[in-house]
Amino acid sequence: MTRVIKNCTIPAVILLILAAFPFYASGYILSLLLIAFMYAALAVSWTIFSGYTGYINLGVAAFFGLGTYVAVELWPRLPFPALIVLGGVVSGFFALLIGFPCLRIRGPYFIILTLGLSELVKSLVERYEVQVRHSLGTILLDTPSAEAQYYSLLGITVAAVIVAHVIRNSRFGLGLLSIKGNENAAEAMGVNTTKYKLLSFALSAAFMGCVGTVMALRWTFIEPVIAFNPLITFQVTIMATLGGVEDFRGPLLGAAFLTLISEVLGIQFVYHYLIILGTTLILVMKFLPSGIMGTLRQLRMGKRNVAQYKKFEEEQFPH
Amino acid sequence: MELIFRILVIGLSIGAIYALIAVGLNLLWGTLRMLNIAHGDLIMIGAYIAFLLFKSWGISPIISSLLAAVACGVLGLVIYRVLFSSSIRAAKTLEGLEANSLLIFFGLLIIIENMALLVFSADIKGYSYLTNSINILGTPLPFNRITAALVAIGACIAFYIFLQKTLFGKAVRAVIQDKDATQLVGVNTHKLYVFCFGVAFGMAGLAGALISMLYSISPFMGQSYTVLALVVIILGGLGNILGSLIGGLLLGLITTAGITLTSPGYAFTIQYLLLVLIIIFMPAGILGRRMQ
Repeated sequence: MTRVIKNCTIPAVILLILAAFPFYASGYILSLLLIAFMYAALAVSWTIFSGYTGYINLGVAAFFGLGTYVAVELWPRLPFPALIVLGGVVSGFFALLIGFPCLRIRGPYFIILTLGLSELVKSLVERYEVQVRHSLGTILLDTPSAEAQYYSLLGITVAAVIVAHVIRNSRFGLGLLSIKGNENAAEAMGVNTTKYKLLSFALSAAFMGCVGTVMALRWTFIEPVIAFNPLITFQVTIMATLGGVEDFRGPLLGAAFLTLISEVLGIQFVYHYLIILGTTLILVMKFLPSGIMGTLRQLRMGKRNVAQYKKFEEEQFPH
Repeated sequence: MELIFRILVIGLSIGAIYALIAVGLNLLWGTLRMLNIAHGDLIMIGAYIAFLLFKSWGISPIISSLLAAVACGVLGLVIYRVLFSSSIRAAKTLEGLEANSLLIFFGLLIIIENMALLVFSADIKGYSYLTNSINILGTPLPFNRITAALVAIGACIAFYIFLQKTLFGKAVRAVIQDKDATQLVGVNTHKLYVFCFGVAFGMAGLAGALISMLYSISPFMGQSYTVLALVVIILGGLGNILGSLIGGLLLGLITTAGITLTSPGYAFTIQYLLLVLIIIFMPAGILGRRMQ
C-alpha cells in the first residue's frame, strides 16, 4: 500500500500542476500545451500497438482523420464528451474491421499496407465530399472553449498513459512483446497472437480517434487534406521512436521535445523545422536505434554490470 | 473498339514510365531489403534538373535525362556511403535493418522535399516540348509521350538484359535470391550494393526527367510516384524485376481504363484500392513467389 502511494505521488503532483494550468497560464501557453498533448496522446497510443508488437503502423492519419470526421458529421448535434467517445468507438471499430485481413501481413508489407490504407481512406472521403456534398471542407461553429479542449486532451493523454502502463505490466503486454521478439515462437508457446494484435491495434486506434475528434473542434475547419495529413503520421512515428517505444515515457519525452522544437522554428521557418525533423530522425536511427529512453537504460545497465563484475572479480580472485 | 485502342495506347505509354520507376525501387528492395520511400523525391529532383536545364539553356530533356540519371546516381552513392554502408557491414542480417532503413529514408524524404520547397518554392512548374502528335491506332499521341515511353521501356529492357546476360547481372540476381549463398561463392556483395544504389537512384532521376516532359512538376510530386511504384512492385512481386516491368504496364492499363470509365479524380482511389487489395489477397504478386 505504501509503495502504491509512493509510486503515485510524483505523477499525481504533475497531473495537479497540469490540471491547474488553465487558471493561471496565458492563452499562448495553453495552446502550446494543447498541441503537446495531442502529439503525446497520439505517440503513446501508437506505442500501445506498434511499440509493443513491432508492427510499424503508418496509418495514424486514417484513425485520427476518422475521429475528426465524426465531429464534422455530428457536431453540434451530440454533446462534446459523447462525441469524443464516439470518435474513439468509430476508429476502434474501423481498426477491428481492417485488422482481420491486415494483421496477417508482416514486415514491410504491413507498413506499406497501413500507409496505403490511410491514403485510400483519405481519397475516399475526398471523393465523398466532392460527389455527395459538392464542397471540400466543413467549418464547425460554436466549438467548446479552449479550457474544455485542454481538459479533454489531458484526459485522453492520461488515459492512454494508464492503459499503456497497465498493458506493459500485464500478461497481455508480455504477449505483445513476445510477438515483437518472435511471432512464430510466441504462437508456439500458446499466445493467441491474432487476438492480441487485433485488440491492441483497436485500442491504439480508438485513442487516435478520440484525439481526432477533439482536434477537429479545435481547428474548426476540416477537409480531407488536413484531417488525413500524412505529416501527422510521420511526426507521431518520429516522436515515439525518438523517445523509445519500450513504455509510455519515451513517446511522452519525444512528443514534448519535438513540439518544443516545432514551436521555436515551426511558425517562421516551417521548411527548416521539417528539415531538422528529418535530420533528427536519421541521426536517431543511426546512433540511438532504441530511442533516448532505451539508450539511457542500456547505459545504466552497462554501468551496473561493470560494477557487479568488478565485485565478482574481487571476491573470486583476491589479490 | 476505339475506346479499347485508346486505353491500350495511352495505358501502355504511361505504364512504361511506371515500370521504370518501379524497377529502380524494386532493385533496392530485392538486393538490400530496403524500401526507399524517398524514391519519388529523387524523381522530383530529376524532374527539376531537366526543367532547369531546359529553361535556362534550352537543353533537350532527352539529353538532360541522362544528366539527371547520372546526378541522382551519384547522389545515391553518397547517401549509401554516408548513411548505410557502415550499418550494413555491421549488421548480421539485413532483416534487422528493414525498419531502421525505412525510417531513415523517411527522414530523407522529409529533408529532400523541404529543401526543394526552400530552393524552388511551392509553385507548380512546367514546360512544353515536342507537343505535336501523331495518330496511333486512331488515338492521337504527342511525341513527348512516345519519346518518354520509348526511353523508359528501353532503359528497363536494357537493364533486364544486363541482369540476364552478364556475370555481374547474374550476381545481382543471385543476391536477390539468397544473400548468404552468394557471399559463400565469393561475390563481393558490398560492391554490388553500391552498384544497386547507384542504378536505382539513377533510374529515378531518369524517370523524373522524362516525367517533366509530360506533366507539371512541384516539390510535392514525389509522394504520388512513390505510391505508384509501391503498387507496381507489389503487383509484380517484391524483388521480381521482370514482374515490375509487366506490373508497370499493367497498372498503366488499369489506371487508364479506370479513369476513362469514371473520372480523372478517381486515379488515386483506384491505385490505393489496388494496393490494399493486392497486399491482402495476393501478397506474392501476379507472378513469382513471396520473398522470405
